Amino acid sequence: MTADHITRAPVTGSHAATAIELANVSRWYGNVVAVNDITMTIGPGVTGLLGPNGAGKSTLLHLIAGFLAPSRGRVTVGGRPSWRNPEIYRKVGLVPERDSVYAFLTGEEFVRATAGLHRLADVGGATRRAIAIVDMADAQNRRISTYSKGMRQRIKVAAALVHDPDVLLLDEPFNGMDPRQRLHMMDLLTKLGAEGRTILLSSHILEEVEQLADTIQVIVSGRLAASGDFRAIRRLMTSRPHVFLVRSSDDRRLGSALIGRPAVTGVELTGGGLQVRAGDFGAFSRELAGLAREHGIRLRELLPEDESLESVFAYLVES
Amino acid sequence: MSGQPSSLTAAPLREPERRGAAVIETTALTKRYPGPVTALDELTVTVAPGITGLVGANGAGKSTLIKILLGLLQPTGGRAMVLGADCARDGERIRSLTGYMPEHDCLPPDVTATEFVTHLGRMSGLPPTAAKERAAESLRHVGLYEERYRQIGTYSTGMKQRVKLAQALVGDPRLLLLDEPTVGLDPAGRNAMLELIARVGAEFGMSIVVASHLLGEIERICDHLVAIEAGRLLRADTITSMTRASQVLLIEVDEGADQLLAELARRGLQARPYERAVLVGLDGDETYDAVRDAVADLGLPLNRLEQRRRRVEELFRDEVPEASGVG
Amino acid sequence: MSAEAGVIHDIGYRRYTGRRLGRAQILRALYGHSLRSAFGLGRGAKAKIVPVIAFVVMCLPAIANAVAVANGNARIVPYDTYTFQLRVVVMIIFVAAQAPELVSRDLRSHVLPLYFCRPMRRLDYPAAKLAAFMTACLLIIEIPLLLLYVGTVAQLHGGSAIWGQTKALIPGLLVGLMWAVLLAAIGLALASLSGRRAYATGAIAIYFFLTWILAGILITVTQRNVVRAVVVHPPKGVGPPPGAPPGGPPGTFIAREVTQVPTTAAHLSGLVSPFTTLDGVRQWLGGTSPGPLPGVGGYGALYGAMFLVLLAVCLAGLAARYRKAGGL
Repeated sequence: MTADHITRAPVTGSHAATAIELANVSRWYGNVVAVNDITMTIGPGVTGLLGPNGAGKSTLLHLIAGFLAPSRGRVTVGGRPSWRNPEIYRKVGLVPERDSVYAFLTGEEFVRATAGLHRLADVGGATRRAIAIVDMADAQNRRISTYSKGMRQRIKVAAALVHDPDVLLLDEPFNGMDPRQRLHMMDLLTKLGAEGRTILLSSHILEEVEQLADTIQVIVSGRLAASGDFRAIRRLMTSRPHVFLVRSSDDRRLGSALIGRPAVTGVELTGGGLQVRAGDFGAFSRELAGLAREHGIRLRELLPEDESLESVFAYLVES
Repeated sequence: MSGQPSSLTAAPLREPERRGAAVIETTALTKRYPGPVTALDELTVTVAPGITGLVGANGAGKSTLIKILLGLLQPTGGRAMVLGADCARDGERIRSLTGYMPEHDCLPPDVTATEFVTHLGRMSGLPPTAAKERAAESLRHVGLYEERYRQIGTYSTGMKQRVKLAQALVGDPRLLLLDEPTVGLDPAGRNAMLELIARVGAEFGMSIVVASHLLGEIERICDHLVAIEAGRLLRADTITSMTRASQVLLIEVDEGADQLLAELARRGLQARPYERAVLVGLDGDETYDAVRDAVADLGLPLNRLEQRRRRVEELFRDEVPEASGVG
Repeated sequence: MSAEAGVIHDIGYRRYTGRRLGRAQILRALYGHSLRSAFGLGRGAKAKIVPVIAFVVMCLPAIANAVAVANGNARIVPYDTYTFQLRVVVMIIFVAAQAPELVSRDLRSHVLPLYFCRPMRRLDYPAAKLAAFMTACLLIIEIPLLLLYVGTVAQLHGGSAIWGQTKALIPGLLVGLMWAVLLAAIGLALASLSGRRAYATGAIAIYFFLTWILAGILITVTQRNVVRAVVVHPPKGVGPPPGAPPGGPPGTFIAREVTQVPTTAAHLSGLVSPFTTLDGVRQWLGGTSPGPLPGVGGYGALYGAMFLVLLAVCLAGLAARYRKAGGL
């Protein structure tokens, strides 16, 4: 599935390009190594942080937010260390996974209190803006205990945005949101990323990360397994042939023609079409149209089967 | 795996549902709470046999609907029927025919899966031996083997979700209600659970209603969709018609998109750029050949060629989607 | 055609075509499951410690007396009060430890929706749990009585003697039944307030102990001391001893006797504790063995009413709790 709707605008905008940098960062709890020697740089725009359960994503987010000290290595945000640096809280907004809101407060009170904690000059204005951004103005005077899960998430995002941070860290932010709220939140994050903010988003919903994120960082068992554009990552996996599904006017003949090419390592006739494994993906993609024409075969469909973020992620985790 | 309806494979449905008999039917179903909160507002919908996705309702609407369907809550107005029985009057009978998998944590940590599912089998009305046997079978079907003799507190999230599914299956229901079955699972776990649900729907001979916020999942495993918003029916349709192919062809080349645009225009095709790709109006089968030839002539690396399809997501987007035509 | 060389068996999903049990039997299964939980059966050794110790300790007086009877002594433990203090302590421990096992665990793990989505009614769950816990308490209370009875009767000869024992036992069993019913209801009602077993146990233990001690204190302090001189009169014909004061009845002062006479307040003090309330009902219904209450002084009906009120409040509380709880 191509990423249709979220047009990724070029990163411009008012926020100073605040990069997050980790240099040989490890964090352990007794014998458990949650983060193991990670070096990475996260720049402006939206970055996806992916990994299986327990891989260390939450730990990483808390390290960046300055809530945890690295056992080794350095974590800096905008050049400044994040640990024991109260300045950091001005630049960073964290939306944690756990429900850490006070249920007896109203939404407005909670955001206002956060604004107060940040000692903002215009607490009222900042609160209003933040609540408007997440579209919670109608419900702001109700107690958080009456909110649905999706609404709680949104109010948490408002609180994280109230001080207009350069860096936004989100741990499973879409949890509990219904489709409309999700789409709205995704649009919001895209906009914030286009404004030049550095947004790091941890999520298990890969189809959404695929649409939102320009780059991904994949963590497996505390180690950084891969980073960058997932399509580029896929192309780096040269030991794995790319898999395509082709539907044509004569799959069998096309298949027998393809298997004759060195770029192709395997073809299989399945119920859904012709499955082709291409060891040399570049050569295959250049040759296919010509080959089909040569044999008078009409090409109806060509789908890369394992170029999605889901497939790339699965490969990274299993290897 | 795009949104193809779950098809029957080699193993036939064990006990085919009467084709056309609605599994769930509501008529102007309304529920108001003091507040005043209207959770359901004149909801009229029919759910056919198969796997149906339930989408969109905020927390109050969805849980209210489930409670009413299970006969645990009386509606303020209207009527609801499940498997031909009236929810307001035959709640107990409905509950004996349905299996429910809650969204939240509901498993005791200090009991083994076997004991737990067996006990709930007894609670479903199975005699002792049948409960033991069906518990063992259910756990096998959901993929829990030796783990079933360990205490549930030691399980991963994925295993716990499977136990929840097993207890819903143990009483051999005719309708399964699964509430956000993939919540908390990592991508591999989600994949496994979705495959499991698709298999249950295809091979076990029961209808399934999956409540989920994730449209991708619903497109993947469901036959039908019911979308509820603000307590009212937003849309009820088959997934096939909601993911219908449009008359637009999408072509992705790794390089030379501009050249391709020019070449296609030269050949008299309406083409325009779209993100990384090129869209072409589909005007009969000849369009395919023209595209093929254009790509071949230019020697461009062709990465993707497909008819653009509508997506379920479009239902929730306010602007008009671009799928129908090319400018 | 030769015989098949191999077979692949179909082990796919099978529908259930067997018997389905109705609501009554489902509840009986829940009852049985809960009763076993009350004694820690099927839950590992640690869960059995408290119930077993409670049971054994409760039986000790019965066994001791039975042995004494076998050696020719009389039965001194009454059937209707048994050994009151011991019974109080054992029941507090048993109820405080085990009521949460039945009720708090399910609340904590949020498993109730899985019950309510099954073919039973809302109040069936607490009803089955209550029946099970009442049975458990009943067993702890009555079996020692039966042991005492059997031990005594074994040494008796003659139908009328045995009948005499039986006549004494039956009220004791009824009193035990009242104990089981009330204490189980209170225990479950309090336990249902918390999903944390420690809190539930604490709440139950504190309620029972405090009220028990309070009742004891109140009973003691509200009694009136009556002082009487004990005087011995000389036999007829003997004159007053030398130096005796003139006038007044002749007699030798022996001692001062202080008796505690219960006042109205003392009669009523028992209402603060379920244990003394139960004792009050016992005395009202004709129980004669001495108990912590110094008589009911005509307020017996009040104790009967208190028993019913406590019971009703607990049942209503349980019903309210489970009508709301469950998340479904």
